[in-house]
Amino acid sequence: MKAVLIHYGKLLGSSFLLLLVVITILFALLEAAPGDPVQSLVGDAPVSEQFREQLVAAYGLDRSVVERYFIYMGSVLTGDLGTSFTTQTPVLDRILGRLGNTLALAIPATVISTLGGIILGVIAARTRNPLLDTGISGGAVGMFSIPNFWLGLMLIAIFSVQLGWLPAQGTASYGQSGIALEHMVLPLITLVTSQFAYNIRVMRSSMIESLGQDFVDTARSKGLSYRQIVWRHGMPNAMLPMITITGYGVGLILAGSVLVERVFGWPGMGLLLVESINNNDTLVVLGVAIVITVCILIANILTDIVYGLADPRLRARFRPKGSES
Amino acid sequence: MSHGAVPKITQTGGNRPKQQTWKVYLRKPAVVIFLTLLVIMVLVSFIGPNFVGSPFSTAHAPLQAPGGANPLGTDHLGRDYLARVVYGGRTSLLVGFTVALLCMTVGLLVGGLAGFYGGVVDTLLVKVAEFFQVIPGLLLALVAAALLGSNVTIIIGILAVTMWPVVARIARAEAMRIAELGYVESARAAGFSRFRIFWSDAVPNAMPPVLVATTMTVGLAILLESGLAFLGIGDANRPSWGALLNLAQPYITSAWWLAAIPGLCIFIVVLAVNMLGDALNDVLNPNIGKVK
Repeated sequence: MKAVLIHYGKLLGSSFLLLLVVITILFALLEAAPGDPVQSLVGDAPVSEQFREQLVAAYGLDRSVVERYFIYMGSVLTGDLGTSFTTQTPVLDRILGRLGNTLALAIPATVISTLGGIILGVIAARTRNPLLDTGISGGAVGMFSIPNFWLGLMLIAIFSVQLGWLPAQGTASYGQSGIALEHMVLPLITLVTSQFAYNIRVMRSSMIESLGQDFVDTARSKGLSYRQIVWRHGMPNAMLPMITITGYGVGLILAGSVLVERVFGWPGMGLLLVESINNNDTLVVLGVAIVITVCILIANILTDIVYGLADPRLRARFRPKGSES
Repeated sequence: MSHGAVPKITQTGGNRPKQQTWKVYLRKPAVVIFLTLLVIMVLVSFIGPNFVGSPFSTAHAPLQAPGGANPLGTDHLGRDYLARVVYGGRTSLLVGFTVALLCMTVGLLVGGLAGFYGGVVDTLLVKVAEFFQVIPGLLLALVAAALLGSNVTIIIGILAVTMWPVVARIARAEAMRIAELGYVESARAAGFSRFRIFWSDAVPNAMPPVLVATTMTVGLAILLESGLAFLGIGDANRPSWGALLNLAQPYITSAWWLAAIPGLCIFIVVLAVNMLGDALNDVLNPNIGKVK
């Protein structure tokens, strides 16, 4: 039990450290940003002299860089991301209002790209048909060479404009709330593509390595069917790199969703980020970056837990001595 | 976004002499096709601007379909789209190749030194590389470019900063492996200084996998730059392919070619670069990726 606690303690510690580094980088960027800090906080809106003084006092702009750094760090860590200048509401509320829509795309995208990647990767690895293998592998290179936002535009041009099969914009028909399934199809395809392709390649090479191991010969000499060897013995042993990749993939999907949300007018965090960049609403820009980082870190911690469950060698290490039954 | 898919590399070169490796590489059908494509795209983008008209002149009728006087049609302001695509390619490719060159140089030096010497620098590099593996480059680049402004130099700088650790990680692994090899030991026994050994043994021998990673970096940098430009973060005076896509989006219902052509250009270049990198990897590691 103790080893488990130490392991997860370390994991939480390093995740927290990573968050601190991200906040530090964001603060440094804010400091390095050219122009008047008050103006870049407010954006394009005009600033009255009185308001300027208020801001200078509120953000401690008359203090030293080090002091400001600790003030910023403190307020972010206590969940205060500041006030949005375009809507005069707390930044955190604006972001959390959008978080659900982003996750509604990101979570299915992660699941689909992982499962699809595993299946096609295994098929490409075990096939004796060089055409199928080359087709899948080459197709994967093609899929992660496509700029995903362009793929989205082309899907809209074909399926929404030309054929009229699927809606092009938003989460639901005009005037309705919630998320309609047919509105999700095109954004999901767009978001999934590159991660899916990457997963295929990782799974393929991991599976080839797995199928070359001695236990496969053992399984074959036991007289197991080829299907059983591949899916019951080969695949589980090829899964570990996939779990790691899925952890990183969540981050890439969240980053990619910025572009996809922009293409499909999907009101998630990414669209908020783009809108805020265009409005120079700097605190929201920083806030979205911080919230996405937190999401990524949570995904990484979950990945590590799954990794621990999936790898029997780690389970054995965590088991207290003398309790092996 | 996308990934620099750099497969694991455990050994390099096989037993072939160097020249023969290149010969094998250049004879692969995939290499012949995609190298030709890439060379054409590069030539068109860098020599082409001398032959097409001005990309800013609004002398033509707006939103003309491809064909006729304007081979690729015109955009919403009546600018010749061929000129805009050719000039856009120059920006996109310039960013892609410059970023990759920077990443290769910095990655090879820092990664190589860290792997070869070990110690604090090595620990630090591992942490930095881990950081950039967890936090996506697109997110950092987006926020950085939004705050720092966005001319071509700044974009190149930001992309290089977020992408060099990928190359450095691979250079580090190679340098660590090489530091244990016999020829390094004998060079040390012969009395060469450590830096001399690093420079004349470790660096050239670490090159092949670093080259593969660099090739992939070109594609990823072009994709990231076009993503930023698509969101409106780019040099307004030098619109890249991504910026053309940004301008094309409102006309997706009426003028599909405005979006189709620059995107197709990005796709062809990135695909060519990735395929060439893949083939290079296959030549350098002939045993990996084959079913037994």
